[in-house]
Amino acid sequence: MSDVLVSARGLEVHFPVRSVGLRRTGGGVLRAVDGVDLDIHRGETVGLVGESGCGKSTLGNALLRLVPPTGGRITFDGSDVTALDRRGLKEMRRRAGMVFQDPFASLDPRRTVAQTVAEPLEVHKLRSGRRERAARVGELLEMVGLDPAVASRYPHEFSGGQRQRVGIARALAGEPDFLVCDEAIASLDVSVQAQVLNLLRRLQRQLGLTLLFISHDLSAVRHLSDRIAVMYLGRVVEVGPAATVASDPQMPYTQALLSAVPVPHPARERARQRIVLRGDVPSPSAVPSGCRFRTRCPYVFEPCPDVDPALQPAGAPGQLAACHLHGVVGIPVADDTPEGVTTTPTS
Amino acid sequence: MTAPVLEVDDLRVQLRTPRGTAHVVNGLSYSVGPGETVAVVGESGSGKSVSVLALLGLLPQRVATVSGRALLQGEDLLSMPPERLRQVRGPGAGMVFQDPMTSLNPVLTVGRQIVEGLRAHADVNAAAARRRAAELLGEVGLPDPERALDRYPHELSGGMRQRVVIAIALSNSPALLIADEATTALDVTVQAQIIDLVERLQTDHGTGVIWITHDLGVVAGIADRVLVMYGGRCVEDGTVDDVLERPAHPYTRGLLGSLPDLAAPVGPGGEVPDLTTVPGLPPPPTDLPAGCVFWPRCPVRGDARCETEQPPLVQVGSGRSGHFGRELPHRAATWCSEEVR
Repeated sequence: MSDVLVSARGLEVHFPVRSVGLRRTGGGVLRAVDGVDLDIHRGETVGLVGESGCGKSTLGNALLRLVPPTGGRITFDGSDVTALDRRGLKEMRRRAGMVFQDPFASLDPRRTVAQTVAEPLEVHKLRSGRRERAARVGELLEMVGLDPAVASRYPHEFSGGQRQRVGIARALAGEPDFLVCDEAIASLDVSVQAQVLNLLRRLQRQLGLTLLFISHDLSAVRHLSDRIAVMYLGRVVEVGPAATVASDPQMPYTQALLSAVPVPHPARERARQRIVLRGDVPSPSAVPSGCRFRTRCPYVFEPCPDVDPALQPAGAPGQLAACHLHGVVGIPVADDTPEGVTTTPTS
Repeated sequence: MTAPVLEVDDLRVQLRTPRGTAHVVNGLSYSVGPGETVAVVGESGSGKSVSVLALLGLLPQRVATVSGRALLQGEDLLSMPPERLRQVRGPGAGMVFQDPMTSLNPVLTVGRQIVEGLRAHADVNAAAARRRAAELLGEVGLPDPERALDRYPHELSGGMRQRVVIAIALSNSPALLIADEATTALDVTVQAQIIDLVERLQTDHGTGVIWITHDLGVVAGIADRVLVMYGGRCVEDGTVDDVLERPAHPYTRGLLGSLPDLAAPVGPGGEVPDLTTVPGLPPPPTDLPAGCVFWPRCPVRGDARCETEQPPLVQVGSGRSGHFGRELPHRAATWCSEEVR
């Protein structure tokens, strides 16, 4: 049994962009996910960070085949996700769950908590009989810190934090191996966020879950994750152990991103050198050539527009960064043959 | 000593709701000096947004009862006739809301919206107002301001829209700028740009700023003073260093403890310790507890008075003098702090 549970290789999710309005100026392609390589190991928590529009949610959805990939490969526990038939896909849906951002929109307002949490049990025929299912629902609610007595209540009777717990209970109902949490704490108040973060960590340990924790909140990601992957414009540009990525980032984008995270310590805030990036993120339908970060990078130099950088070892063991500062490794833009990988040793 | 831009005294707001009267703001007093930034911190339902909406007369009159006093440059906002309040809203106080998409009109160009604000408060012709609008957009760092004037809000990114809203708020050089979760919807890198911008404009124009947020990291970076709200009351206030580094109220301590730290030290096993949390939920404003508003969730409650008697806001540390020669005491409303006992 391989150590890697979920793996993406050269994963692409491109959406056709239809032109709108009176002047139909040819449709383009929106590269939401554009060549992602990522391995998620059994039992680990990978934090996926990046700014809005970087493709992190699309990547999470693609890994669960909630959106069809347009290129590349995804494997889940060794089998090719894109090639699954109906039965295979259903089994995968049981083994891989999702916790959504908005606990108000992701729960059916006309169903009781018990109905919502029991649905996966029915779909996957995990518990037969009403009584057994009810017992399992109670168990799941207890696991996420809710009183089993709330099972007969409706979502509107709950606060945001409690709804999110219901969402987690539903995701756990199929006894999954893998859980994607997409901005699962973003809509919650600070003190409630902490409760849900602690809960996720406890469940992850208790059940040996593998988590992909998608968030724009770097502090929360750093807190929960074993490893952090940083996305920019559809590509994972840095990945590595959480502590080292947070303290010693190797990719200029990660450095800027981290420097912009405000910390609740006035003295540290005043002393901090904030790297303010120029301009906005380019549109994912017009990705710059070569390194996609070059239009905003403070260190841009000759190879950046010409060679699309590949992830390469940088910094601490296990840390990878896609940046020419660590040696020019990647695929030259002008070259049509993908084998044209140039390598120059780091000086 | 300079006179404060805004002086709020015993502000109270009640809202009539189907579930009964909601006591949303219950006796709030603070002041903002010129060039000073006061951060108002609290979770949803703490009354932080309603407290500033009440100042500018933006609450629906049919359901809201507002009392107290709020002097903006010496003039009471709360007893002002509506026409006067309209005049004050531009040059007196500008406001930036959380969501720039809903605070801009989607069917008008950015230029029209800025010009409208300018011409409502000053006697300028259209051409001059347009020139000024372009200047303002340049000032808030929008690339190619002349062209941006003719664009519609949906053509701009979130950060650019928020810059437009700030440009509108600043178009009449207000003495007071109120930012209500102005950067919450934005990415951290854009947030950093907006904060830089507001700080620069504040230095240039001497604007007093009320910055409402739940993000204590942002507070640490921008605030001179902090006011922590809970259950419609101020439970702690003081300089940013006092409140964030030496919090006295159990709620403030709980909030700070529940924040994950980006630079948290790692244990030998690579373990980051669990976050301390504030158990439970804030009380609904329709049903505030008697006594200390925080006692049902308080980890250190124990004083006999907690459940029955409301603790007054009293000084807990040494007073500090601020930028403007003003005494800036550190105060907390709790029966449980060492200093109070």
